[in-house]
Formats: sequence, structure tokens, C-alpha cells
Amino acid sequence: MARHGGRFVPPSVPRRAALVLPLAAQAPDPVAAVMARLAAVREVRASFVEDKDLPELDRPLTSRGLLSWRAPDRLEKRTLEPAPELFLVEGDTLTLERPERGIRETLSLDTAPEIRPLVEALRATLAGDLATLRRYHEVTFSGTPQRWRLLLVPLSVRARAAVQRIVLEGEEGFMSTVETQGSDGRSRLVATRLP
Amino acid sequence: MKRVAALLLVLAALAGAFALAMRVVEVRADIADFLPEPATPEAAFLLQELRSGAATTLLLAGIEGAPAADLARISRSVARAMVESGAFSLVANGSAVVGDEEAAVLFAHRYALSPAATPEAFAEPALRGALEGVLDGLRSSAAPLVRRFAFADPTGAFLAMLRAWAGEARVATENGVWMVDGRALLVAQTRASGLDTESQAQAVATIRQAYDAAAPPPGTRLLVSGPGVFAAEAAATVRADVALVSKLSLVLVGAFLLWRYRSPMMLAVVALPLSVGTLAALLVVGAVFGHVHAAAIGFGITMLGVCDDYPLLLVTNRAPGESPRETARRIWPTLRLAAAAAVAGLTPMLASGFPGLAQLGLFAATGLVGAALATRFLLPPLLPPEGLFVRPLPERLAHLLLRLPARRGPVLVLLAGVAVALALAGGPRMERDLAALSPVPEPVRALDEQLRGQVGAPDVRVVLALRAPDAEGALRAAEATAARLMASGTVAAIDHPARFLPSVATQRIRIAALPDAATVAQRLEAARNGLPFRAAAFQPFLDGIEDARRLPPLTPADLGALPTLAARLSPLLRQEGQGWRALLLPSGIRDMDALRAAAAAVPGLLLVDFKAETGALLDQGIKEALKWGGVGALLVLVLLGAGRGLTGGLRIALSLAGALLLTFAILAALGERIGVFHLTAALLLAGVGMDYALFMSRSGEESTEDAARALGSVISCMVTTLLTFGLLALCATPVLHATGLTVTVGVASAFLLACALAPRRAGTR
Repeated sequence: MARHGGRFVPPSVPRRAALVLPLAAQAPDPVAAVMARLAAVREVRASFVEDKDLPELDRPLTSRGLLSWRAPDRLEKRTLEPAPELFLVEGDTLTLERPERGIRETLSLDTAPEIRPLVEALRATLAGDLATLRRYHEVTFSGTPQRWRLLLVPLSVRARAAVQRIVLEGEEGFMSTVETQGSDGRSRLVATRLP
Repeated sequence: MKRVAALLLVLAALAGAFALAMRVVEVRADIADFLPEPATPEAAFLLQELRSGAATTLLLAGIEGAPAADLARISRSVARAMVESGAFSLVANGSAVVGDEEAAVLFAHRYALSPAATPEAFAEPALRGALEGVLDGLRSSAAPLVRRFAFADPTGAFLAMLRAWAGEARVATENGVWMVDGRALLVAQTRASGLDTESQAQAVATIRQAYDAAAPPPGTRLLVSGPGVFAAEAAATVRADVALVSKLSLVLVGAFLLWRYRSPMMLAVVALPLSVGTLAALLVVGAVFGHVHAAAIGFGITMLGVCDDYPLLLVTNRAPGESPRETARRIWPTLRLAAAAAVAGLTPMLASGFPGLAQLGLFAATGLVGAALATRFLLPPLLPPEGLFVRPLPERLAHLLLRLPARRGPVLVLLAGVAVALALAGGPRMERDLAALSPVPEPVRALDEQLRGQVGAPDVRVVLALRAPDAEGALRAAEATAARLMASGTVAAIDHPARFLPSVATQRIRIAALPDAATVAQRLEAARNGLPFRAAAFQPFLDGIEDARRLPPLTPADLGALPTLAARLSPLLRQEGQGWRALLLPSGIRDMDALRAAAAAVPGLLLVDFKAETGALLDQGIKEALKWGGVGALLVLVLLGAGRGLTGGLRIALSLAGALLLTFAILAALGERIGVFHLTAALLLAGVGMDYALFMSRSGEESTEDAARALGSVISCMVTTLLTFGLLALCATPVLHATGLTVTVGVASAFLLACALAPRRAGTR
């Protein structure tokens, strides 16, 4: 289970833990603190560099582009090179556009149970929505609210077959790296905040 | 008073029996019933398609009036419930259709099934392009999807096959389901045949329940179209029309009878023989055919106006001091002759070979006999012995009508003139569009057309059909024919079963054309040069080619495990008796004559042009109806001759023929296209006209008083008939409109001619 609040509740004394828990909930919980900071950011833009490592390839594929987040639910990933692509999640709708290939697809997240956890891993984190995040992932926190790390493991077996874990890192209210480990290989996205 | 009570009691019993009979007897609305026995293979094929073809099991549904996301949710929910109901062999709403198991089988057979699996696709330049495409896909956010197939199928044989399957739908997808102009679309095929009205209605009910269960937000609408809906709508329209007309005509006829006979009892008197006749007709037709056609009922209901005549004749013809029994006995020979001649005119329809027409004939004949017998035997004991009061006709009118025989010359000249004019105008125009005969209301048909257009399943106009002793033969023939017709350049595209399941021969040829693994490996190695793929990355691709060589070809026998492929194939390929039938659907026909010529060059290939073929069938149907009408006319002549002698018979026949002539001339002048319903109505009209002529000319020696009474009774008959049929002419349902108009026009003509051609009386000169 999640180890958040571990610093205040030593695992060796469960009985005392039960007594202390109401107090602990009032104490500054670092996950809650991070989530509160993320939730406070209504809009943010960043550039990104993503490296994908696939087992069938002998070197990583690199792509660059822009990210933008607008609360409560709009996340856009616009790849500029090597091939332009728009990946947009807003509400329940996911849109994927690849103008060079003439591809434009929309799909409803409700109908894609294997995609939803991957979308919510990023979106619920950016929104500071811990409840939604925990609906789809087992969440493990480490670090401090100033420099944090979240380890997400999908709860659904089907989603876990494709993606085994996602590691998010950030400073204060900004998420700066996303690392995904899947059966398809590994990918690492590094974001740099734009003014 | 006791007699009134008895009369009402009998009527109530009849009404109860009628309601019961309507529950027991099955009502149908299949227009194919009104087509004759086919004479050519094209016509036979057409009839079979109309009765039980794939199109008859197709149901289309649209959901509209809510935001797209809601519509998509409802569409998915409805589709799921429909699949679970097990009543449909195909449910499609645009969401992913191929299940995992089926996809695995199809993937394994991709090189045999896919048109993209050509030797060129395995040449080095094509492989290089394919690898670059894979790399591009891996860079994208859809990488997990690309990775699923790309390393086993870099040439895209599998995806090209799925795309080709989806290609013919051409429907835009939004939120994962088909959506056109704010309307989510679903297509389904019922397992039950299109003829099975009950199951069709059940299937429609299943869709409506699934829709309600999906909790649609307020303002959302569900539209459903298909034969099941058609049957229900047709029955509802006919019922609504009949209900409205019967209420209105009840009021009007009631008012007239009250004025003429000053007794509300007259309504009950008139109703009795009608009720007996209709009930008998319904039961007899139901028992003989196992069901009653909606149009036959509509027609039968219109008989109400005609059978009115018998009780009116009985009551009005009563001489002073005569009891109703005596009147009944006195007029029975005339009444019997009238009914027998009318039945004689209708019975040939029984042998006509159209199930629908035979039903009409039997319905009308049974009804007439029932009504005549009721008038003779059931009604008189229920009437007061002193008879009913009859208001005399206005004297001027009676005088004028009774003097008409003196104007016989001009009337005959007029008839001859009309006959010449009609002949010069090329005769009445015939209806050649089957849709115009359909009892399905226009808005329902319009919706069907719209939904079909949106789903991309436009009404098929031309079908090419071929037969072979086995499935393989049919598939091979379909492939060869399609290739030949495409090469002829007469059509833009041809849909055929081998597009989905190629013949075993073609599958073998495709597999044999695959280069061997060593060659592919060598080319792949070259194509990989400079790309970041590892050496072993495409091992699944190389293994797949070798696996494909070992797999036995897919045949229709394997379809049980392949529901999507089966659903695609079933409208185009089916077992028929000892052999197999394949259908080819050309689209974008550039030159119909050239296509005909190209099709004629293929032995055994049947080209069916639905529109033209239906027109030809209807023409044949009308010819048949005319032929049997002619036979009926001969029978009537013989009967009349036996009853009235040669001169009397001819006189009556002339007045009948004149009435029919005038009717068709007036219909033509009104711009009506003559269909099967007009002709059957004309038969009925002949029966009514004969009543008038027979009663107006019972004998030349009657007193003027008798003649006036006869005239009065015939006028009563005519007015009630006009009041009922005049209203029917205003109905939208083709069968009711045609019948109403024909009989209205005809009855007026028949009455005037009956007066004019009646034997001259001494003193009226």
C-alpha cells in the first residue's frame, strides 16, 4: 500500500498508529502538499524531449514538442519533430492527429479501459486529484514536496500487461519528468517550463 | 321493441366475435403478395429477394437530439444489449467489430485473404517503405497499437484487409461510433426471416427496450427503420385510416338513413348483413391462407359500403301490406342473381396466382355471400312485420330519373365518344412503381431512404447473381465475373463475396506467390540498412510467412468461429437448395447497356435491374388481373343471360361495361395511374353496378309505383355507398385511396347508366 505519511507513523507500532492517525491527517502530509501545489497551477506550458527505447530498436527514438495543461482536464502534447502530431485529452475525449499521414481519430476514454489509466496518470497528477489517481494506480511517494517522486503501478491487470510502472518527478507544482516502463520498452520525457 | 332488442343482441354478438377473430387471425403487409407468379429467372430471383432476401432482415436505427458523447454512449449501450439478446446475426455501430479470437484467425490467414498480399509488397523497395512506415508509427503516440502488428506484419496485409472491409460503409466515426449529422447510426440484421412479422416486431421492440434502458437524456429520439417497422407502420396506418373513415362515414350514413327512414333502427338493420359478411370473410380467408393481408382487410372493410345495398333493397322494396319475409322471398331471385353474378366476377381472382389478389377475391366473395344470406334469412324475422317507414323521393327528381330511358340515344353516343377518346389518348396510364402500392406511409419510407444513404447502404438497383454447384465454384465465378466486369470499364466498383472470402484457388495462388523466407530475410536485411531496427526485430514476420504456407485455406465451413466475416459474407453468398448463390453488387454504373452486354457474355450470370424488373412484374400482374377480369366478365354474362334472357342480360352488361368505361376515362382524366388496387376495386364496382341495373330493370311491366320504389331503393344504396367511398378516396393509404376513388366515380356512372338503360315503360316516352 501507499507509504505516504510513513514518517509520522512508524510501521512497528500499529496500535499507536490508530491513535495518532487523526492527528496525522491534520499534519502536513507530503503527498497532499504536492497535490495541493499541483492543483494550484491552473495553466502551464512546457517544451519536452522524449526518448523511446524499444526492444526491437538498437537506439532510442527522440521527439520534441510542446506540452500544455489547462485545469481542470485539458492536456495537450504537440510533437513538432521529427513528425508533427497532436495528442489531446479533454474531458472524456482523446484526439490523435497526424496531419502528414492524414490521420485524425477521436475516441472516448470510457470505451478504452486500457488507455484511461495511462491518461489519468498524467492528468489526475497535474490536476492534483489524488482520489482519481488512486482509482487507477497504486501510488508510492518519496522525496519532499520541494523535490518529489511518485511511483505509479496500474491497478488493472489489463493495463499492467502493457505498462508496468510510471515514475513521475517534479519540483513543487511542476512535473518535470515522466518515465514509463512497459512491455513495449521504456520511454522518458523531460519537460522544461516555458514562461 | 322486443325485435329491436333482439337485433341489437345479434349485432353485439357479431361485434364480439369480430374482435375475437381479429385477435386470432394473423395480419400481414407483404407487398410481394401482390406480384404474380414469376415467368422469367430474373423475376423469380427478384420475387425471392423481395420476400426473403438479405435486405428484408436489415434494420437501421438512428439516435439523435443529444450531444455527440451522449449519443455515442447510448449507441454502444444499445449495440451491446442487441448483441446480448441473440436476436441479431449482425450488429454494427462503427465501434471495433472484430473480437480477439476472430482477429487471431484472420491475422493468421492474412496473406491468403488480403488483397494487399501481392509479390510486389515483398520486393525490396516496398519493404523499405514498409519499414519506414513502421518506424514513423513507433514514434507516434499510437506506438503500442502499431507495435501490436508491425513486427509480424510490416507490409500491413492485415490492416489493409480490415480497411477494405470497412471501406464500403464510408461512415464518419465520432467518439468511436458512426455519426452523421448529429445522428448516431446502427445497422443490424435479424436472425429471423423478413417474412416472420412477429419476430421482426420483436426485434424492433428489443431495440426500443435497449434504448430505454440506456437512459437517454430528454429530447433524444430513436428512429428505427426496416421491414419489421414497415409491417407495424403499415398496419397502424391502415387501421388509423379505417378508424377515421368508418367513424366519419358512420355519422354521414347514419344521418342519411335517419332522414330517409326516420328510425335509428335502420342503422342496425344495415349493419347486420355487413357484420355477418365481414366476419365470415375474415375467418374464411384466415383459415384458407393462414393469414390475412392488411390490404385485403382494408379492401374488405370498404365492402361495408357495398353490402349496405342488400338490407336497403329489402326494406325499400317492400310493397304496401307486404311483410318483410314476403318481400325477402319476392326479391330473392334478383338479389340471388346479383350476389351470384358479383361472386362469379370475383372468383377468377382466386385462380390468378397472386396470393394477395386471391385473398381479395376470396374475402370479397365470402363477404358478399354472407351478407346476401343474412339479408334473406337472418334479417326478415328481426324486422317489424309492418316494415319500416320510407320517405318518398322528391317527385321532380324521381320523374326526371324515370324519364332517362328516353334519352338513351345521346347516352350511347356519349359512351362511344368517351371510348374513342380514351383509346386515342393511349388508354389509362399504369402504375409501375412498387413503392406506390406499398401500404407503408411516405414519411417512414423517406426515413428509411435517408438512413440507408447515411449508413452507405444505398438502395441496390442492379444485382448480378450467379449459381454454382458448390461454394468454391460460386466464389471462383464471382472472382472471375468481377474481374471481367471491372476490366470492361462499365462500373466503378463491384462488391462481391470473394472480396471477403476469396476462393480456395485464389488463396492458394496468393500463398504460392509469397517469396520464401530466405529471400524475404535477405531483402529485409537490405531494407533495414540505416534504420534503427535490430536484426531479429522482424523474426515474427519471417515466421508468419512460413506459418501461412502450412495453414489450410479458409472456407465457408469455417465461418462458425468468424462472426464478423460471416456477417459480411451472408448477404452475398448463400446456400440455395442443392447449389450456392453468389451476388455481385455493382456501384457507379457508367453505362447500363454496356454492363448488360458485358454481363450477357458471362454464361449463367443473371442481371436483375430491380426497378425495371419490378415494373415488368407489375405490368404482368395487371395483365393477369385483366385476363382474369375478362374471364369473370364472361361468367357474369352467362349468369345474367341465364337469369334474364339474352336481351335483358346484354342490357345489364352494357350498363356495366359503360360504367367501367366512364370510370377509367375519368380516372385517366384525373391523372391517376392505374394499379392493381384500381382493378380490384373495378371488379367490386362491377358487382355494385350490377345490383343497380338488376333492380332498376326487374321487368318492363312493373307499375310506375313499383318502378319508383325500385328507383328509391337504388338511390338509397348509391348515397350510402358514395358517403363511404367518397371518404376513402381522401385516404393516403394507396389501397384505400384507389378503391375509394374508383368506386365513387364508378357508382355514380353505374347509377346514371342503370337509369338510362332501364327498359322503357309505357307512358314515360
